[in-house]
This record gives sequence, C-alpha cells and structure tokens, in this order.
Amino acid sequence: MADAGRLPEGRLPPGPTCRVDFSRPLAFTFLGRPMTGFAGDTVASALYAAGVRVFSRSLKYHRPRGLYSMDGESSNTFMAIDGVPNECAETTALRAGMSVAAQNVRGDPRTDRFAFIDRFDRLMPAGFYYRLFHRPYRLWPLFQNGLRRMAGTGVLDPRRNYHRDGVRAERHLNAEVAVVGGGAAGMSAALAAAESGLRVCLFERRPWLGGHLAWRVRDFEGEPLHHRAGALAARVRATGNVRVFTSSPVTGVWGDNLVTGFTIGARDDPFRECHWECRAGTVVVASGCMDRPLVFNHNDRPGVMQAGTAWRLARMYAVRPGGAAVFSVGDDMSLEAAVDLADLGVEVRGVADAREAGRQDPGLVASLAERDIPVLSGWAASRAMGRRRVKACELRPLRGGGSRRFRCDLLVANGGMQPRIGVLATVKAKLAYCADTHSYQPEELPEGVFVAGSMTGLRDPRSIEASGRLAGHRAAVSCRGGAATTAVDAASAVRRDAGSAADGLPGPVSGCDIRHGPALGRGAKAFVDLDEDGTYKNVVESAAQGFDVPELAKRFGGFGLGPGQYRVTGQNLAMIMADLRGDPVETATPTTVRPPLVPPSLATLAGPGHDVHKRTPLHGELAGWGAVFRRAGEWERARYFSEDHSCRDEILNVRRNVGILDSSPLGKFRIHGPDALKALQRVYVSDMREARPGRCKYSAMCNDMGQLVDDGLVVGEGDHDYYFTTSSGRAGSTVEWFRYHTRHDGWDYNLVNLTDVLGSVNVAGPNARRVLERVTTDDVSNEAFPYLGCRHITVGDGVGARCLRLGFVGELSFELHVPSSYCRYVWALLVEAGADFGIQPFGLEAQYCLRAEKGHVIIGAESEARVTLTDIGMGWLWDREDTVSKKVGAPALRACENQPGRMKLVGFRVDERSGSLRDGAVVVGRAERGVGGMAGDGEIAGYVCTTRRSDVLGWQYGMALVHEGVAVHGGRLLIRQEELPGRPESCTATVVPPPFYDPEGTKLRS
Amino acid sequence: MALASAAVNWLKLRRLWRPSPLKRRYDTVIIGGGVHGLATAYYLARNHGIRDVAVLESHYIGFGGSGRNTAIVRANQRTAENVRLYDEGLKLWRVLTDELDFNLMFFNCGSLLLGHSEASTGAFRMAASTHNFMGVHSELLDPQQCAEVIPGLDISDRPRFPIQAGLYHPPGGIVRHDAVVWGLAKGAAARGVHIHQGCDVRGIKTDAGRVTGVRTSLGDIGCNRLGIMAGGYSTAIAAILGIELPIHPLTIQAMVTHPLKPFLHHVFSSTAYHVYANQTLKGEIATGAHMDPQVNYTTDATAYYLKHQAEALVELMPALRGVRFMRIWAGLADMTPDMAPIMEGNLGWDGLYLDAGWGYFGFKSGPVAGKYMAEYMATGERPEMLKAFQLKRFLENRYSGETPAVMKYGHWD
Amino acid sequence: MTFRLTCPVCGKRDVYEFTFGGQERGPRPAQEGLSAEEHFRWVQFRLIPGGCETREEGASRADVREPLQEEWWYHGQGCGVWFTTTRDPMTNREVEGGGGG
Repeated sequence: MADAGRLPEGRLPPGPTCRVDFSRPLAFTFLGRPMTGFAGDTVASALYAAGVRVFSRSLKYHRPRGLYSMDGESSNTFMAIDGVPNECAETTALRAGMSVAAQNVRGDPRTDRFAFIDRFDRLMPAGFYYRLFHRPYRLWPLFQNGLRRMAGTGVLDPRRNYHRDGVRAERHLNAEVAVVGGGAAGMSAALAAAESGLRVCLFERRPWLGGHLAWRVRDFEGEPLHHRAGALAARVRATGNVRVFTSSPVTGVWGDNLVTGFTIGARDDPFRECHWECRAGTVVVASGCMDRPLVFNHNDRPGVMQAGTAWRLARMYAVRPGGAAVFSVGDDMSLEAAVDLADLGVEVRGVADAREAGRQDPGLVASLAERDIPVLSGWAASRAMGRRRVKACELRPLRGGGSRRFRCDLLVANGGMQPRIGVLATVKAKLAYCADTHSYQPEELPEGVFVAGSMTGLRDPRSIEASGRLAGHRAAVSCRGGAATTAVDAASAVRRDAGSAADGLPGPVSGCDIRHGPALGRGAKAFVDLDEDGTYKNVVESAAQGFDVPELAKRFGGFGLGPGQYRVTGQNLAMIMADLRGDPVETATPTTVRPPLVPPSLATLAGPGHDVHKRTPLHGELAGWGAVFRRAGEWERARYFSEDHSCRDEILNVRRNVGILDSSPLGKFRIHGPDALKALQRVYVSDMREARPGRCKYSAMCNDMGQLVDDGLVVGEGDHDYYFTTSSGRAGSTVEWFRYHTRHDGWDYNLVNLTDVLGSVNVAGPNARRVLERVTTDDVSNEAFPYLGCRHITVGDGVGARCLRLGFVGELSFELHVPSSYCRYVWALLVEAGADFGIQPFGLEAQYCLRAEKGHVIIGAESEARVTLTDIGMGWLWDREDTVSKKVGAPALRACENQPGRMKLVGFRVDERSGSLRDGAVVVGRAERGVGGMAGDGEIAGYVCTTRRSDVLGWQYGMALVHEGVAVHGGRLLIRQEELPGRPESCTATVVPPPFYDPEGTKLRS
Repeated sequence: MALASAAVNWLKLRRLWRPSPLKRRYDTVIIGGGVHGLATAYYLARNHGIRDVAVLESHYIGFGGSGRNTAIVRANQRTAENVRLYDEGLKLWRVLTDELDFNLMFFNCGSLLLGHSEASTGAFRMAASTHNFMGVHSELLDPQQCAEVIPGLDISDRPRFPIQAGLYHPPGGIVRHDAVVWGLAKGAAARGVHIHQGCDVRGIKTDAGRVTGVRTSLGDIGCNRLGIMAGGYSTAIAAILGIELPIHPLTIQAMVTHPLKPFLHHVFSSTAYHVYANQTLKGEIATGAHMDPQVNYTTDATAYYLKHQAEALVELMPALRGVRFMRIWAGLADMTPDMAPIMEGNLGWDGLYLDAGWGYFGFKSGPVAGKYMAEYMATGERPEMLKAFQLKRFLENRYSGETPAVMKYGHWD
Repeated sequence: MTFRLTCPVCGKRDVYEFTFGGQERGPRPAQEGLSAEEHFRWVQFRLIPGGCETREEGASRADVREPLQEEWWYHGQGCGVWFTTTRDPMTNREVEGGGGG
C-alpha cells in the first residue's frame, strides 16, 4: 500500500489474488496508440486499465460496446489482434508488441461514423429483411450488397496466411475420469476419483485453478476463501494420477465421453495451441455459473458489466472497474462483490437486489449496511444513461412505483446466476427448469456423467467441495476402470460422502426469477442478445409474427446465433418467451446448445497437418529422371517425365524401343487355404479354375450391381495357393472385399496383402525381351515364356523375381515383382541393360494413353455407375454358366445383358484430321447431314471418356459411353464440347471397335 | 411505389400464417412440413385449385433438413435429366420471392467446384458441355482462373491434392433456407392450406388398395391422397405400410465460423476434400461435410467432422486458419444408391405419393419438386419431368448418373 | 456421434476405425431361380422388419422409430475382421452386448 502513489494509472494495489506482475510491463498498441499492460493481463484488462471503454460497435445498430464479461460470452470485445480478426480480448493473454484494433467501426470506436443507425432501430423490427428489399426485385442485389457490407465483424484478408507462426500440436489422451472445470468442485472430484488410482484429466479454461474461490478474499472457517482454492490446487498438482490442463477450454463432450478441447500454450510450452481429444470412461461436469444477464433499457452500454467481471478486474488484474458503482443483481455472490469492491475503494452508491427482502445472506446485508451502502430489495435497474458509456442509472421497484437515479460509471447488473450448461447439453442430459434455483438443471444424466459444484445451485464452499468429492467417487465407481477392490473402496467413499453431504451442509440456494428490468417501455433498447442486437422488443415482434417458441425466434430474429451462442441469450429468451405466451416458465424450452462450446480456430483444429502418403521404393530413382509426381490415392506417383504432358516421347519410346515403369503400387496378394478357389470364384466373374501355375488368368470383379470395381491377374502358385494383382486404388480394400463377400460361408482361406512387401517394375516395348535377357540367364523366349505366362526367374546377382508377361500397354511386356528392398537394384540393372536399346522411364499418363490406344479399360475412366461389365464390352470375362459359386455381380449381369436402352462403351475415330476434342466432350447424337451442316438429335447421348491424338496411329482415337442407339459400328457421332458458354466446338467421329492399336494383338504376343 | 407500400407494410407485424383448426378430413394430407411438403401444398393450391390440404409436421416447420442445410442452390448436376429439373428449380427462387411477397434472400453468387486430378478436368468438361448444351451457364476454369474468381484459394503445389481445374457455375448461389420454409408456409396458408405443427404421424389407414387416412398424435385424419415428404424420416413412415425403399437416412453435418466482413463472394466446393463452403449474408463461413455411412436418425454432430472440416478448408484456403468455428449441427440426408431422388405416385396403394431420397440435394430442389409433385397428385399422371426418378430404376439397375461413383456394397457408402 | 464399437478381437474402438458393411440380411441367396427384382431388392433396399414400430399412444413426443439393427462392420484400421453387432439407429449407439458376434 505504501507504493500506492506509484501505481500505474487505472490500477488498484495488487492484492493476494492478483495475477498481474507490475514488474513486467508489456508495451502494445491500440488503434496505433502506444499502451502498456503487464504480464498476467488479458488484452481486455490491459485496455480497460488504460481507460478504454468502447471496445467495438455492435453488429446491427453500431452501438458502442464495452467490457461485459471476462470469459468471452459475447462479441463485445472481439478485436483484430495482430491482424487476426475476431480474437476475444477477454481471454487472450497480453503479449509484448501486440497490435490491437477495434472491429465493426468506421473510424474511432468512440465516434463511429455509422453510429446514427442506432436511431433507426424502430424501422428494423425482427425479421424486417424478409419483408423488405425484394420489391422491385431488380433492386435486391443492391440491398443485398449493402446488407453484406454492414454484416460481419472481423476483417479477413483472404490472401494472408494466418497462424503460420507457432506450432499447432495435437494430443490424444485417455483417462478413466475426465473433469470439466477446475474450481473447488472439479478439483475435489479429481482428487476423489484419483484415490482409486484411476487416471484423471482435469480441464480448466482459465489459466489457473480455483474457479470463483480464486479471487474471493472473504474469510470462511478462519481463512480467506482463496487459500482454500490454493490448498486444493496444490493437492491436485501433487497428485500423480491427475493430469491438469489449464488454459484448456473444452469444446464439447461427444459420444461415449469423448472430451475435446484445446490448450493455449503458455510462454514455455512448445506449442502455440494444442488440440486434444480425451477418451474418458466417465465425465464429471463442474463448469460453474455465470451471471444471467439482466434485460433492461440500454443494458449494453459500456460500463454495464457482470458482477464477476467487475470483481475479477479488481481482484485478479488489479484494475479499477470504476469510480462510482451501482449494483442491480440477484444473488449473494454479487452482494459479496459489492462489499469487496467497496473495500477496494470503489464507491458503491447503491445495490438493487431483484429478490425480495429477507432472501439475502444477512451477513452480507449487514456488511453493506456497515459501509453505508443502501440495499433496495425487490428493485432492479430500469435504465442506463449515457451515450458512449454509463454516466448514471435509474433503479425502480419490480412491483409498484417510484424510481431512484444514481450517477455512476459502473453498473454491475445481473439477474442472479445461471449454470454453464454447455457440457451437460452436449452430452444430452435432460435439462428442466428448476423453480427453486430458477435455472436449468439436469433431470436425468446420461450414463457415466456426473455433475457437481455451483452449477447445481450450491454456494457454500463446503457443499461445493462435498458435491465434487461425491461426483468424483461416483465417477470412479461407474467407469469400471479401477480394480474391483478399489471400486468397493470408492463405493464406500460414496456412501460416506453422501452421508456427510446430507449431514448439515447447506443445499442449493434458491435463485432469482427476474425476467427483465422494470418499466420496459415500447421504445426500450433492452438487449437479450448482444451479438446480433436482439432486443426484448424484437422478441415481442418475433412472437407477434408467429415465431413464439425460442427455437423459432432464434431462427427468425437471430437470438443466440452470434459468437456468444446460447450463453447470454439462452435462459432469458426461454423465460421471456414463456411469459409472452402466457405459459408457466417451467414449460419453456431453451434453444439447442450446439458445440463447440468455446470456438477453436481452424488452425488449431487442423493441427500440424501431417501429410500422410506413401512413396514407392523407386521414388528417388524416378525423381532422378525428372519425374513430375502426382498423388494417386495414398501414393505419390510419377505422372510425367517432362513438361510435355502429352507424353509424346514417352509413348513413342515404348512403341519403338522400350520403356520402364515403376508399377509398385499395384495391389499384390496371396491367397491360400482349402477354400481359396471358392473365394476367388465368388469375387471374380470368370472361371478361376483356369488360373494355373505359370499361367496368368485375367479377370474382373464386379459389385452386386454388375458394375466393374476391379480387374487383375490371378496365377496359380501350388495347391490351394494363388497369387493375384489388383488395381492400385483397390489394394487397400481387397481383403475387406473378399472377406465381406464370403462372410457367411465360414470358408478357410488366408489372404495376405503383399502390396508394400513387393515392388514391381514393368519393362515394355519391342526391345523388352532383349533387355530382360541381359539381366537373367533364364529362358525368356516367346516359346518358353509366352504371353500371359508367369515365371520365377533370377535376375542379376541372384535376386528372385516373379515375372508376369502382360499386355496392358499393348507391347511385349514383362513385369518383375521383387521384394521392395531389391527394387532399386533391379531398376538399376534394367536401366543399365536397356541403355543400348533406348530404355526410358514412362509415367502414369503415358501408360494411360498406351492402354487406351489398345482399348483397355481403366476403372472409373471408362466405367461408371450407369454401366455394367457387359456394357463396357468386358462381358466375355463373365462365366455365365456358373450359378453355384454365387459370383458377385452375376445376377445383375444376367438381368441387364439383354436389357434395351443401356449405355455402352464404344471406340471411335475422329473424322477431322486435327481438332481440339478432349476428354469429357459430350455426344449429342448421331451425326446426320442436315440443312445447316451436321446436326445431332438434340439430346445428350453420352460422353467421351478418353480421347487422344495418337502419333503412332496418325489419327485421334477415343472411347465414349453412349446410349445404345448410337453405339453402332460404322455410325457417326456428333461430339461437342463447350467449356465456355457460347463457344461450342464440335466434330464428328466414326464408331470403330477397339483396340485401335495392333488389333490382332501380334505385338504383345511377339 | 412498390417500395413505398412495402415500407408502410413492414412495420405492421402480423402472423405469417394463422393456426388452423384440425379437421377430421382433408382431400390431401402431406406428411412433412419442410420445403418439399410445403411447396407441394402451395402448388396444389396455387396451380391446381386443391386447397383442402393439410401439412402435418411433427416438430415445427423447417425443423428437419430444410433448416439444417448449407442453403446452396445450383443446377450444375451431371446428367441431362437432373440438370433439367434443378435448372427449373434455380429459376424459381426469384419467381417465388415475388409470388410469396417474402424475401428469400437469393444471393446469386455463383459456385465454383474444384477438381484435384487430371480426371476431374475431364469430368468438369463433361459437365460444362452438358450444361451449356442445355442452356445452363457453366465454365471450365484452370487453376489460375479459379484463383481469380476466388482470391485466396491455394493453387500452388503445396496442398495434398493441388487444384487442377474448376467448374464455375454463375447461376448458382445461396438462399436463406428458413425464409423459404416460412415464405411457402405463408403462401400455402394464404391459399387455404392448413399447417399443423407438433403433429406426429403414427399410422396410415388403407382400404381396398387405397389410402384413406392417417393416425396422428392429434387424432385420426381422413384423406383421399397422402404425400410422404418427410425427408430423412420418409423411409420410416413408408415402413408403416411395409414399403421398403433403397433410402438410407444418414447424419450429415454443417458448421459456421464467426462472422466476418465479406471476402468470399462465391460458393466453393471440392469433392476430393469433401467440403463445400460459402459466406452467408451475415458473414459467417458456412461449410458442410461428408457423412457417416451407417443409418442413423440422430442429429448429433461429431468432433471428427469439426476437425476434418478445418483440415480441408485450410488446405484449400489457408487464410481460413485465422477464423474460428462457433457452431456445428447435423441433419438427416436420405441417400439413395445413385444420389438421385425417388418421386412416385400410387405406390402400392392408390393415392399414396412419395417424394424422398434427395440426399443432400433436398433444399435446392424443394420448390420445383413440389411443383411437379403437386401436378402428379392433382392429375394422377406422372409428369414427364419426373420420369427419370422412379423407384423401378433401382430394380432395373438403371442409375440416374447423378454421380459416376459406384457403391461398394448396395447400401449407401 | 463419436461412438465406439466392440470389435470381437480388439475390444471397444472408435467407430472411425471401422468400415460399415450394411444390414445383416442373411447369406447370399442362391442364384438359381433368383429374379432380378429379388436380387436388386436384396442388395439395395433397407429391411425394416415388422415395419416401423409406431410410437406408443400417449407418448408426448417422439421421433419416428426404427427397430434395432443387426449390421456388419469391418475393423479396417485394426485387426481386419468382419463382425456383426446390434446398433440402435435412433441413438446411433451400439446396444450393450451387441458386439463380438
């Protein structure tokens, strides 16, 4: 106190509960003006201490808005901090160098140029915009743009990268008991639950433990209340199996007690913010209370604030909340705040208590009397005066006449306390209005959820702690995480605590049922919702238009839709609406509480953003060749090897010399066991008995609609033993697929996914055999190793490879499947051996074109949901005689094979010599020579799946899915593409059967 | 002049529609007080003079999908029969705003669908060619053009799936979903339709192959025609009559950020990232997510989607790292295997009509579906426009082509 | 909801580790004599056995009800087993004792 003269401006002498360190000043700016706060301040407390009263302007009316709450209950103190919009000044810790600016203002928030709008509120009844601005319709876009510009608060620069600084972390926690709220009840619950040896996680949104006890200095049982909080906190911190997370708001409690939230990093944390998810056995909810806002005329003026706000400013931040204060409150804790603030030197000129005389704590009433503070029971604030901040207020009795005016710069207002029901609502506890506490209380709690503390209406610290212990023990018993003996111990502890709780400790205190301040006239600006400027008058207007239940009024009038969500609005709206309807207040159902209970930033939710993907064993080799990689499913794959995305050189090299492809992502499987063949017969459409050792059987898988889902090769390996390949995209779901379609059969087979175990390298082109001959001594001649053969060969220094002779790209081609660890060796071997034959790598795009020239289908490219295997010309694969294997897809193929009017896959040759036709152009019918040139049928008859101009063929080929009527060989299609409206390009093409390249298949058999 | 009279009128606060007494019998009963049910009732009265209509809503009108969607409207569907329907629907917003004298807040901002693979370029070209051929404006854009339309899109190679193409559809936009519900209710009630809220359907009465009435929590109601238009609840209601449908009610989630001054002037979406987003007139970024595959009638949100959505959005538009989600909610999507709806008449019983299976396209199609269902119910003749949406297509394996993707196992996955 | 499923091998795990496999509809029907319509119904149509249980009379408020559903799940991000369990579509929760089938 001796240093009082040297106190910074706006500050009180730091008391025992002060969290601000005056020895560590932090310089920051507000609207460019330099200011100083201190370590421990929030942005809001520092601004308030520096004399800032108007923090922002409101959304609709541009009314001045000030510091109302300390836990981010509204958007009043949303500010742009270091350019990041909508940061809540109340909960953001001050850091040196911060640049803070007000939002939704034109110019200075004190003199905002749009402040005049407030005078026109009469012209903007609830939902006015639905009945205005649309006549004449042509003017609507103008109004709409005006509305858009006026709406919104923060300004986001879409080109800026926000929160690139600072690490975003992610944690996955497991606990038997999770406790939400680190006040006396939560801490007691955590300690009680921890007695059984269970893992407990305690989450507290503020940077410290203790809840409201942390700032209360009133003596209780011989010591100040904050000592009690300190002692509990010390015990919690010292308990090894309780993990304490402060600055950690809970965003929601979801199914099966998944508790989520985030931790705001302290100075020495390795992260800026950390998203966490805690899978808990049971949850104790001890989230406490907040002031229920008092609805009265101009209740949003800067200077009107929660009791908790004024109190915490003074006690935790050593900020003088005001010089002269008036209280209009409805509970004892607020009376205690009045006494305490008076003791701190705030001149409290009067206290209105909405409760009738005799319902207050007599001790507090006496304390107020001792300090000559008049207490007006049954009174409440009717009006705040002052344009930009409170200068005076008017109090009136709730019943009867009379009024009193007080000059003041601080009006502490509430209608008593309301529990923070967010967590209870998200776990779907059944909440009902309690006519004693005048709050929403859980009637039924879901399994594994317990509630404790002041939110149940308890106020006595001993009761609060006892309720916490009881909930903690119950949670321990319920979660079954503990061993049986500890559960028994805990159960007896429950009985003990339940006994003591009932044993003389005070129960819940009755609450305050005030709906709004007295004498609310027609023109009153009494806000039920601060974020979207929803007034009492707007509630009346909503009801008058038929939106007379909270859920409808919320949607029509915008109550509780802003950043504060249900917190400021929820209970008041329900109570007011019940009154307006003339229903008992117990029937009021508040609006649905929706998570997140505290808003997390997208940067924090997105977290570190690990890019999980796979690379093939040959990634480095491909990169060395200049590969351009693209993501294909989970794989990073080489798509091109030059900037020429037509891949002309890659294609020609395969056709003329020899190319080498890294096909490692190809699905590779082994299936063995007595019922392996049965399983193959079930999922493949062909007769899989033809898959024999040394011989590849090509087949396809369909789904139950007969649609193509996969194709590949199956080779016999021995008795009841097969090796098979799938397309890369299907590798991950093949085991699932086999097992699904045989799930009722109880068949005995083993299925092993070898996709990552084996790499594969494909050598294709007229010179492929010559290359292979240089790396193996095995006989790979056409006679010894024919097309569709499969051989085990040895390459280089004795690497065993399974070699498959394929024809996907339409050339002589060998695919070597080798253990992944040998891939690089084999690749190097082949590249060296092929040097003389012009070997070059080719990528996915070249492969795509090569196979298309050959008329080979790629799933998803030439197939879709409207066509079956038969429709795309692969019906020959289907073993239609087999009805005993119950082949997947067979009934659909049978049903559709002769069905008229289906789409079919056709090949075509573009008639023009050169053109711009590309994938996705639409077929608009048969090309017929009409009066004005070529005309289609006027209907879309299909589309081009794939088309390329082929340097090998010398013409442009393509495949299209078209309606049967135009799928006639030799017929002509009118094809049209219109990437921009009014710029159609069209051409004609002749339907020709694929394959376009080497139709006799001599190349791949050579 | 019109503006002046509106200005005089808007201060007179009247109920948008009056509660009506429950009659024991109506000519037509519609189950479901959402956009589809109300639009059907509105058009029955407006176009066909059938005013003896009751709309039964179990909660309050707009409680279901109508009030839970992200309010995106567009006509850039994949195949002709779908484009035709949605295009007419898109043109109705303006007409209805006038007819209903209620501002539906159609924000014609255009939508941009992003593609992330070589294949998506072809798919977009197919869509754009189809649209433009049918007179529906669409444009195929390259990544640079995408960034010109929506500044802030990350068109670099940094994202997991870099943007490779865009399908820009200027006629699309967003509409205030609740306003559509209320406006249609207003218009229907003004033409004599009775709207009964808080009315649960508990049974359906039939006699000699005809629908004769419904049992409700407010008593029995007789009718000649019954329309089931209850969105995600339609299958369960149809099941009362033992009607099985290929419809899977799934929970779909959406969320909004804190409000911001306008910076996103279009809808953008990406199927690769399972995300669609727009900025509402109030300034929030509203964004919708993918669905869980199991049939489920809850409207519970999950932590998974909150996180997933953040991951997706910041990949596409890194500036969104700087905003916060303030609300997540869920609704039901009634998915069919081909993502197209089922609109049927005389389904098993004479006089029984069904309009369901809209998946997540139910909002944008509401008024136009109502218009044609009203015609169907009034005449008993299936309108040409609805021929593509019959139930039998699933029994004949003729999907509508709304999506190229094939289902894994027959249920919606 | 972020609920958990009981895998017969791995125990209770987060539902997002699993792939949904649809309703249990019994073994694949024999193809001999199977009509196209029967097949396509079996594949795509949802079975709501006994129709939809309608709400009890006098209940003040309830949504439409569907009966409990026996259904298939695959533990793809775990042991790779297909199993059936029983779930209540009205609450989207596994019914106690429904797992491990």
